[in-house]
Amino acid sequence: MYSTYFLLFFEFFKVGLFTFGGGYASLPFLYHICETYNWFSHQELTQLIAISGITPGPIGLNMATFAGFKTLGIIGAFISSVALIVPMMFITSQVFRLYKKFSENEYVKSVLYVLRPTSCALISSVAIKLFYNLVLFNKISINSIDFKSLFIVIVLFLSTFKLKRDPVIYMLIAGFLGVLLKFIK
Amino acid sequence: MEKTNFWNIFKVFFKIGAILLGGGYVIIPIMKQELVEKRNWLSDDEVFDYYSVSQCLPGIIAVNMSILVGYKLRKTKGMLASVFGMALSPFVSIVLVASFLSKIMNIPFIDCFLGGVNLSVIILIYLTLKEMWHKSIVDVFSSFWFVFILLLAIFKVNPAILIIISIVLGLIIQKIRGEKSV
Repeated sequence: MYSTYFLLFFEFFKVGLFTFGGGYASLPFLYHICETYNWFSHQELTQLIAISGITPGPIGLNMATFAGFKTLGIIGAFISSVALIVPMMFITSQVFRLYKKFSENEYVKSVLYVLRPTSCALISSVAIKLFYNLVLFNKISINSIDFKSLFIVIVLFLSTFKLKRDPVIYMLIAGFLGVLLKFIK
Repeated sequence: MEKTNFWNIFKVFFKIGAILLGGGYVIIPIMKQELVEKRNWLSDDEVFDYYSVSQCLPGIIAVNMSILVGYKLRKTKGMLASVFGMALSPFVSIVLVASFLSKIMNIPFIDCFLGGVNLSVIILIYLTLKEMWHKSIVDVFSSFWFVFILLLAIFKVNPAILIIISIVLGLIIQKIRGEKSV
């Protein structure tokens, strides 16, 4: 039992330390945790991602707190959010002291040069995974392609040409489409 | 100008955490309003600088920005105030939502609604990628590296290992480049 507390702290410490590129960049780590331990199921993870997007607070922090709650209740939520924040407090406050030089440092530039495509690839892998799970091989669908889901994704994709980059708008549109399509056989 | 003591910093960041929805770049207008316009604790330029530095740092962008602001205002004490302020409302709201999850799931059509929201994550990732793309995929090597890491990630290689490999490779590249120029 104690080892789960420790593991939970350790895993989310890693998420805080290795996530580059904002909230969704932590998704590959959450999938990794989900597949390594039996703390929460794939389905619970997808549910948790959706809810974290429409609750107040940075989405990365919400997802970590929620995942901790799923694992060990309120104590788990506390452990995972603290574990996520601790590495940032150490690194970021140190960087602040060197901050002007930090972004001009040749080593930092070179590391970011390699790290940026890595982050893009990691996030893309999550998008592919989600597309595969939700659209192509949704267990609820019949012909292995869920046309309603595909329709929602296409509508959202088309609206990216018209709408501003506010995540909440897309979440709300998709949510309401989800409800509307329920009535169409 | 409001005093920058522990309690005031905590209050401001509690508010920012509570009105922030979604994450990422949304933090910029909120921080400008609360910290620059209302309180004059920062300048516009600082907000943008902190955002660009935060993007290069490990972790959550909004949390890193609050650490930078808190540290700037009152060193370690300010940092603790801003971070705990920022983390409090997500913590409370997630614990509440998670505790009543089974009740929430009983609301009619909520499962269809969340199912739709899930699909929007695909598009939100696409938008994040679109923004990162031109800064990330800049030449032949970075395109090759993108495909290479993508394949490894699809075959379930631990993402932490992929990040560490990338950091080490970046250091090696600079090391070699540095020796060549000398």
